[in-house]
Amino acid sequence: MLNRSQSKFLSLTATYALLATGLIFIIFPYIWMVLASLKPSAEIYNRLIPTRITLEHYRMVFSLGSTGSTSPFVRAIFNSLVVSSITTLSVVFFGAITGYALARLRFKGQNLLKNFILFQMLFPIVLFLIPRFLLMIRLGWINTYQGMFSPFMMSAWGTFLFMQFFKTVPQSLIDAARLDGCSELRIVFRIMLPLSKSVTIIVAIFTFMSMWDEFLWYLIVTKDYNLMPLSVLLGLYTRGEYSSYPGIQVAGATLLTLPILALFYFFREYFTKGITMTGVKG
Amino acid sequence: MVIPYILFTIIFWVYPLIWGILIAFKKWNIISPVTEFVGLDNFIKILHDPLFWISFKNTLIFMVVFVPLSIICSLMVALLLNRIKLLRSFFSLGYLMSYVSAGVAYSIVFRLLFSGDGLINSWLGKVGITIPWFSSPKLAMVSIAFIVVWKFLGYYSLIFLAGLQSIPSTIYESAEIAGASKWMIFRRITVPLLNPSFTIILIFAVILSFNIFTEPYMITGGGPLDSTQTFMMQIYYQTFTALHAGYGSSFAITVAIISFTFVFIVKKTIEKDMIYS
Repeated sequence: MLNRSQSKFLSLTATYALLATGLIFIIFPYIWMVLASLKPSAEIYNRLIPTRITLEHYRMVFSLGSTGSTSPFVRAIFNSLVVSSITTLSVVFFGAITGYALARLRFKGQNLLKNFILFQMLFPIVLFLIPRFLLMIRLGWINTYQGMFSPFMMSAWGTFLFMQFFKTVPQSLIDAARLDGCSELRIVFRIMLPLSKSVTIIVAIFTFMSMWDEFLWYLIVTKDYNLMPLSVLLGLYTRGEYSSYPGIQVAGATLLTLPILALFYFFREYFTKGITMTGVKG
Repeated sequence: MVIPYILFTIIFWVYPLIWGILIAFKKWNIISPVTEFVGLDNFIKILHDPLFWISFKNTLIFMVVFVPLSIICSLMVALLLNRIKLLRSFFSLGYLMSYVSAGVAYSIVFRLLFSGDGLINSWLGKVGITIPWFSSPKLAMVSIAFIVVWKFLGYYSLIFLAGLQSIPSTIYESAEIAGASKWMIFRRITVPLLNPSFTIILIFAVILSFNIFTEPYMITGGGPLDSTQTFMMQIYYQTFTALHAGYGSSFAITVAIISFTFVFIVKKTIEKDMIYS
């Protein structure tokens, strides 16, 4: 018979063993991806460990481009960065001021607006796809950056998060700032935001990540390869021109994954915090 | 200060929403300026559209695999994480790694990894089996569900873990003193008190099931034999390839209503459970 501490030790060991096994399943596709992007094409399908390391796929990715122009992949990375960054800044900026007004100011229709924001979050994205596309046609924004980011510039979710957090900031700080003659905008950016570092980071990273990953909307509003974000360019190339070049596909997938992984590494505790606060977008 | 938000919402939310509902009753091919009011014709057409029913069936297959599998696995991971102190954040972050992967990227990875002559099958081949993950019409949607479980496992685990940690340990202690078995404690205390976590995860999972697009688009293109056609694929195809904006819009509304109904049913059933326990 095992005594109590022995059986406790055994069960703890089993717990770690199970967790580690599960973790291998989670991480394996990443390991495979990175290795595959570095091995000769012939080995992608049937070998895990490459016989030699090669950068040929990355060289292809960065040199593709008709006659002397920059590689479409480099441009696509740039496009992704532009669209994701603008959206992130905008969601934080407008989320903060709207959230502040809803949490700390008094105005007519305030409760109506609060309820409306909650109501907005119930509507599935599928309802907006087609009419927003038609709107972009009408505005002449197909194949433009603004066409890609404008529908996402303000988020009910981000606004709601800011509003909830701003409620907890002591009123005395706001009163003192007002006595000093601070404008309401200045109060938001000089007092509220610095005090809400974690909410701000959570809103920013989840917005950036969802814009970086976005696929369907970009697929709909961009037809010009020069303007496509990386996700769409890679998606279309994989289905089209480079469908028989797995090396290029995997190298592209690695390039699409790494920035978000880096973001995840640097802001890891905010990812967990953001998710446990729930209500985070699925 | 709220004026930008209100203007934005009117232009990019209220106006499209209403416009979308209006064109659902019209026949319109986007290019021509002529729109024709057809009443409920589009909706009636949907009910006779075999691809609507195929997509519905595929969505149900996806849900039947995805919902229980992701909930069981993530609850297990959360229970394991809840038992350890050392390395807990290492493991929970490790499990979250798949969540931050981009749809296009992991679709490429899994398509190659699980292809007919891919690495997984060449390993399985050594013991004499190969599995047609994406090339068998029976299996393709199930394989896609597996991939999405991979993606959301860590995310759902964290929600469960937060739920587990909000259960006061005194409840467990008194149950143990009363001599309850581990299974009894799990069944009668843990599960009922995790109700909010179950609810939110089920709702997320159901909504997600109706929004599947990137994976089938990238991996199977809807095939083989339409076995991975989804609602989103249909809406995309009808509107942006076939240019039937009116039909696409009524399709979108129908799908939204179905997904609302599912979410509503989930909420109602779970709330009932709550009262019994």
